[in-house]
Amino acid sequence: MSTLIVIDQPPYGAWAGREALDMAFSLAAFDQPVALLFTGAGVNWLRKSQETMGIEQKSVERNLSAAPVFGVEAIYADATACALYGLVPDSMVAGVAIAESSAEVIRQHSHTAFAG
Amino acid sequence: MTQRSMPERNNEGFLENPNDWTPEIAAIIAADDQIELNENHFEIIEFLRCFYKEHEMSPPSNRLFVKSVKEALGEDKGNSIYLMQLFPGTPAKTACRIAGLPRPTNCL
Amino acid sequence: MAQIHTLHILNKAPEHPRSGECLRSLNPGDALLLIENAVLALATPGELTAGIPVYALSPDVLARGLAQTARKASLVDFPAMVELTAQAQKVISW
Repeated sequence: MSTLIVIDQPPYGAWAGREALDMAFSLAAFDQPVALLFTGAGVNWLRKSQETMGIEQKSVERNLSAAPVFGVEAIYADATACALYGLVPDSMVAGVAIAESSAEVIRQHSHTAFAG
Repeated sequence: MTQRSMPERNNEGFLENPNDWTPEIAAIIAADDQIELNENHFEIIEFLRCFYKEHEMSPPSNRLFVKSVKEALGEDKGNSIYLMQLFPGTPAKTACRIAGLPRPTNCL
Repeated sequence: MAQIHTLHILNKAPEHPRSGECLRSLNPGDALLLIENAVLALATPGELTAGIPVYALSPDVLARGLAQTARKASLVDFPAMVELTAQAQKVISW
């Protein structure tokens, strides 16, 4: 039984993505296998060098970097969405697997939940 | 020595601003829970403050607190009995309060 | 600075339907100001608009790690944003 949490919403401006991340962390806390998939505008969570002082919010980049510590098994990014938002491995945080097919990633998990 | 005034704390005793923290203030907060801090406490406190700096959050729950300590310092320190002895009550909550960090979001 | 006919303030990400609607309704003499999630449009390939000034709110650009890729817009801070709205005869907040 493995769970995939899909974040397809941009970082900041809404809480649904953060709540989904929190859900992934909670599953990891109880040693449930869990992975994250970023797609659509959600891939912007993965861009390096987010400086959030000016908007007085915590950086999702830094929050997300705790995922491996907590035991989140994998972080996937949809290749098409990355191309749309000009994201290449060099401009992304470390440890992200680029998925050519989101549908294939979803197929590999027994339970998938979208943010929001 | 003149006593510096205690920085602002919320109704649960957590510092409003993590940057106000000093080891002396930690000792004062710990005294509320009748805890006398030693180097074992400070090892965990240091770890938590680094964690906060890197990830901009406290470990959100007690389980994730134990898990992250285990990841960083090994099984001897990263287990709930050890952490419970150092920080009675809900260890994550007690330790974050003494470390001057925000309350873990999922600790009741 | 020349006067702006209509200042379009867009805060929706590129996939939001209103983003396209906003971009289609720009006219010569107008200006476009991207704020919040709309600044993500700076990361997408291709041109945003044909020949009207494009501004983006700098704290929102920095928060999303886009400072290096923001060549499609002039970055403005909050006082400059207020200045822009003052120069505009009309403002549409999309």
